[in-house]
Amino acid sequence: MLAYTLKRLLTLIPTLVAASILVFLFIHLIPGDPAAILLGDSATPEDILALTKELGLDRPLWQQYIVWFRNVLSGDLGNSLFFDTPVLTVIADGAETSILLALLTMFWIVLFGIPIGIVSASFKGTWIDQTTSGLAMLFASIPTFWLGLYLILIFAVGLGWFPSSGFPSISDDGGLSNLRYLILPSLTLAAPNAALIIRLVRSSMLDVSREDHVRTARAKGLHPARVAIKHVFRNALIAVAAAFGFTFAALISEAVVTETVFSLPGIGRLVVQSILRRDYPVIQGVILVIVLLYMFVNLLVDLAYAWLDPRVSLS
Amino acid sequence: MKFLRFVLSALRGRKLATIGALWLLTIFVLGIGAPLIAPFDPLEIDPVMRLSEPGTPYFFGTDHFGRDTFSRAVYGARMALIIGFGSVIVSLLCGGLIGMLSGYFTGLGHYLMRVVDVLMAFPALLLALVLMTILERSVINAIIVIGIVYATTTARILFGMTLKLKNEVFIDAARCTGAGHLAILFKHILPNLTSPILVQATFIFAFAQLQAAALDFLGLGLPPEIPSWGNMLAEERIYITRAPWLLLYPGALIILSVFSMNLLGDALRDRIDPRFKDDIAGV
Repeated sequence: MLAYTLKRLLTLIPTLVAASILVFLFIHLIPGDPAAILLGDSATPEDILALTKELGLDRPLWQQYIVWFRNVLSGDLGNSLFFDTPVLTVIADGAETSILLALLTMFWIVLFGIPIGIVSASFKGTWIDQTTSGLAMLFASIPTFWLGLYLILIFAVGLGWFPSSGFPSISDDGGLSNLRYLILPSLTLAAPNAALIIRLVRSSMLDVSREDHVRTARAKGLHPARVAIKHVFRNALIAVAAAFGFTFAALISEAVVTETVFSLPGIGRLVVQSILRRDYPVIQGVILVIVLLYMFVNLLVDLAYAWLDPRVSLS
Repeated sequence: MKFLRFVLSALRGRKLATIGALWLLTIFVLGIGAPLIAPFDPLEIDPVMRLSEPGTPYFFGTDHFGRDTFSRAVYGARMALIIGFGSVIVSLLCGGLIGMLSGYFTGLGHYLMRVVDVLMAFPALLLALVLMTILERSVINAIIVIGIVYATTTARILFGMTLKLKNEVFIDAARCTGAGHLAILFKHILPNLTSPILVQATFIFAFAQLQAAALDFLGLGLPPEIPSWGNMLAEERIYITRAPWLLLYPGALIILSVFSMNLLGDALRDRIDPRFKDDIAGV
């Protein structure tokens, strides 16, 4: 297991460096001149040229990359053109919202996805299974922003149960009750992903239930519910654990949209806004952080997978 | 003809998927015949009729410019087809070629698949957002970007399949008869991959719709003047309390089309060659 962990960590390094080069290149391909944007409309060409030199933007691309990468390694992602504060601070400001949103979303996904998946698999082929499978696929087909807009219309504007937008920090007035701001966004975000988990739990349970050890358990006369939970579900969980890495990527993608719909001050909305503002250092920093996080989660998922199923690390 | 037979055999006994296929056929007809079917010009502005309720002559009502929502929805079907088929073609050409070459020439494949891995480290929408910022908002760019985003998964899947096929006896036999690499790849391996590619294409088509709608919504998709379902949602969202039906039509069209495509994809996947059953995940 230790050898496997080390091996996975080592293979992560080249991917990371390659991803950082890609992020760097992407940002430099975006049309527009950062120096001109920084100085505003009244700048003279001489001013722009001087600032370009000062920022080192006139140097060859590879030199710029090395300077940037060295700074990144020492934890310096540069300064935001828009806020004039360090990029890391800007990202940290959005972190609370995004992390709480992700946790709450995961909570709904596990709460709805896993039990419904188990029920669906246990009643395979019946109307219960057909209805849940059909609904799961329907929910996976809904654009998240559309669902969010109608949830706002019904539960915030119509019934007034939840606030429609924004999120004050849980350290502000109201404390944990401020989490009510995240109920609708997290449900929006959870819907398509829970649907995915339902389908996955169902299909992997059906796969496992065809195996010999399950037949033995049934032949011993164990109660069907006990077989379903202890023998089938436990093994099916391996495939589900692997899917959480995938779910996490989907969460990040959809959080960009959901945070925009609900005007949440999170990292997802920061991505869109900094793109629209052409705030290059923030775009670069936030994308690098997200890619890093995503790789890290994938590593954890792989390790969890190897831990749950020792055959993986041996092969 | 072979495709049609494959699709029909997959639909046998699956009511919901058949209804889905019929719905997709309807969208296809709407998209192709948009100028004949739409009663109004989708861009024609009628300020007097702003935000009018569904009725006659505007049976889906009008938007905040007084444009006919039904005609825009019909032209939106055309855009959905263009985006869907376009992204499928781009991702199959790029991803398919990379995947097949990597699976066949494993030495080269080792490096190519590493590049794919790096691209896969970017969540799909994030990659699409950045690429759309580099290029600019246009139909062709949206197609290229969405196609590239899904080319990575396509490459992965076809890589695995080619790797499996390469070791089959009939490939050895072809090699013994003196067939070259290109002939083996395109005459012997590719024909065996057509049905899994078709399944993959249905899922890409479905994902592309959701992705394009999300990009439109964030203001980084198709140019705003183009009547697409995503743009209709993006433009009318601030009127949701005054005219909630305005978002209902394009939303329902997207959902039904994606849902139908997923149903069709599922049906095709269940019908697929058992060798590749585990390779395609879909929704």
